[in-house]
Amino acid sequence: MNGLETRGKTRIVLWALLAAALILYGFPFIYLLLTSFKTPLEAISVPPEVLPTQWTLENYVSALSREGVPAALVNSVVTAVISTALSLVLAVPAAYAITRFRTPSGRVFIVAALVTRMVPTIAVGAPLVEIMRNLGITDTSFGLALAHTTISLPLSIWLMASFFEAVPDELDEAAKVDGCSRLQALWRVVIPVVTGGVAVTAIFAFLASWNEFLFALLLTSVRAQTTPIVIANFQSQFGLDWGGMTALAAVYSIPVILLTLFLQRHIVAGLTLGAVKG
Amino acid sequence: MKLRTRPRFPSRRARVGIAAATTLITAIALTGCGVGGGDATADADTLTVVVEGGGKAELQPIADLYKEETGTTVKLVELPYAGLYDRISTELSSGSPTFDVAALDAIWLSAFADGLAPLDDLYTDDVKDDLFGGLVTEAQVNESFIGMPVWTNSEILFYRTDLFEDATNKADFEAKFGYPLAAPTDWEQYHDIAEFFTRDTDGDGQTDLYGTDVKGAVETEWLATVSQAGEEHMVLDAESGDVTIASAEHLEALDYYTSLLPYAPSGASQLDWAGSQNLFYQGNLAMMRFWGHAYRATPDDSVVKDSIGVAPMIAGPAGIGGVPGAWYLSVPTAGAKQEAAKEFVQFAYEHNDLSADTSLGLVARKSAFEAKSGEAGFENYPALLDTLNAPQTLPRPATPEWQEIVDSVLVPMLQKAVEPGAENAALLEEAKSQIEAIVQ
Repeated sequence: MNGLETRGKTRIVLWALLAAALILYGFPFIYLLLTSFKTPLEAISVPPEVLPTQWTLENYVSALSREGVPAALVNSVVTAVISTALSLVLAVPAAYAITRFRTPSGRVFIVAALVTRMVPTIAVGAPLVEIMRNLGITDTSFGLALAHTTISLPLSIWLMASFFEAVPDELDEAAKVDGCSRLQALWRVVIPVVTGGVAVTAIFAFLASWNEFLFALLLTSVRAQTTPIVIANFQSQFGLDWGGMTALAAVYSIPVILLTLFLQRHIVAGLTLGAVKG
Repeated sequence: MKLRTRPRFPSRRARVGIAAATTLITAIALTGCGVGGGDATADADTLTVVVEGGGKAELQPIADLYKEETGTTVKLVELPYAGLYDRISTELSSGSPTFDVAALDAIWLSAFADGLAPLDDLYTDDVKDDLFGGLVTEAQVNESFIGMPVWTNSEILFYRTDLFEDATNKADFEAKFGYPLAAPTDWEQYHDIAEFFTRDTDGDGQTDLYGTDVKGAVETEWLATVSQAGEEHMVLDAESGDVTIASAEHLEALDYYTSLLPYAPSGASQLDWAGSQNLFYQGNLAMMRFWGHAYRATPDDSVVKDSIGVAPMIAGPAGIGGVPGAWYLSVPTAGAKQEAAKEFVQFAYEHNDLSADTSLGLVARKSAFEAKSGEAGFENYPALLDTLNAPQTLPRPATPEWQEIVDSVLVPMLQKAVEPGAENAALLEEAKSQIEAIVQ
């Protein structure tokens, strides 16, 4: 067997594995999409059918015209954007300081930030409700975004720290030689180098807020209710509107897909940042 | 499309744009806005009521009338059933709930009892007389009434009139079983009819019509069967703490429940309410025992849409028995507007009949059920009345651990019981030990 044949077979195996992985990851979403085009009865048939026998947009019409859905979509966007912005604004300087100054307290801080991720979300539910109420920001997008930031911030700091680690200190020194202050070096020199990392961190922070359920359940009522809560409302104790639920879930996936496509070159750049270090 | 992997340096203009966007977002954030409507927390002329998604429609006409008559706006905060318990639990434990009234599932009352205000003054003799006995019992925890029923459900019998009224079926059934084919009223008839209708209707050698279903993934239907068998304290006696699940009545009920498996579709251990409903709507079941509200919720494209009959829940040796599925309006002790909240609860009771014309179409008062019983579209009401009035329609035990018992003991036990070769008596003994460990 020559090398060309071996490479050909390896390629086939790799493509087969890739296809299998794609099917594994993609099938639930494709099934959700297909279900959203089924009639109400077919959407809940036993045993389930993969393809609709009769394609319909009925689920989309009923889901999008349901009271509270448009407002919830707007609230989800506003909350996720605020939370992402807050995460970045806080995580970038924190991670930069930790990686550049390398103090013992910085190391304690970054480990402590990770420990907060280990606390079950429900455990902080009651205190958070109390704090938000005292601050007068329950049922507001800002209050919910603050809560979401407590989830995304530790991960954002860790991610940004790993990206900053990949940037040599000499770059900062060169900027300072050219007359930059520490903050100017960060803003004008280092951040442009880690744009990909910032994009990756932004996506993680955005997704953490976009899909979050428990804090949204505990901290919102009418004004700031987000879409995950509205989607869950399609299942009540008295029935399951599976078609409507899948239709709204499909619509809710669109911004995330668009965001990922829009930022994909930064994501790839971010993921490979530091891969050739040294 | 070729991926670019080299990071691009944002231009000065782009960075200024990012900074401007961040400022704008911060400005939006500081306004604390959300776009979903008015403030739910409220001024003096607003009451906030948290309610499960399916129940919002039930309360809307009452809230509208309340606004019209009193000027007070009632904000109905719709939350998913799966999260409502956590939300209420968290808010009650915080000591400063953001809601004034909560619509609570019956099984939560005892768990939340410490945080709910007594409503004893609303329970006059007239009120008690107009409520089903099981609901009055259920509303009372630690000798105080802590909830007012706002709507109630119960399982009743659903059957396909096209099959039951078919002349050939009638003749064949009577020839085989010696009595006329009609909606079953007791265990034996239900068993006979389930057996009779389980068949291959298209001649392909596969059974495609089943007499009934057997639900293994939910517990309430078996609990109703336990009451039908004559048990006065299903699962446990909440007052004495005795666990009764291994009693003769429980075993008799479990034996009967699983005796229907040959006439039910396979996969019973995973069958829940939604699955059962779907099988019936697809025309795969001749009968099912199901919650009464479903009569008004048949999808238009169901093959049985115009062929559904309803009757009271079947009777066991002790008579008809169901499990009341009531929801109660309760007022938190720490609520800021207790008096106004109680006034709304009383108003909701007085205008309970308004909920009949909603999509769910359930009420709580006997008089509200009776007023609509003769009307077209409310054929399920007489069946609900008979079932809810039956002496063996008993509430679930008032214990704060009930949900844990259901999730960790009852459903797993039923799922084992519907598997081939299950030893029912041993399963009940095992369940008894598990429940004792939970409650003691």
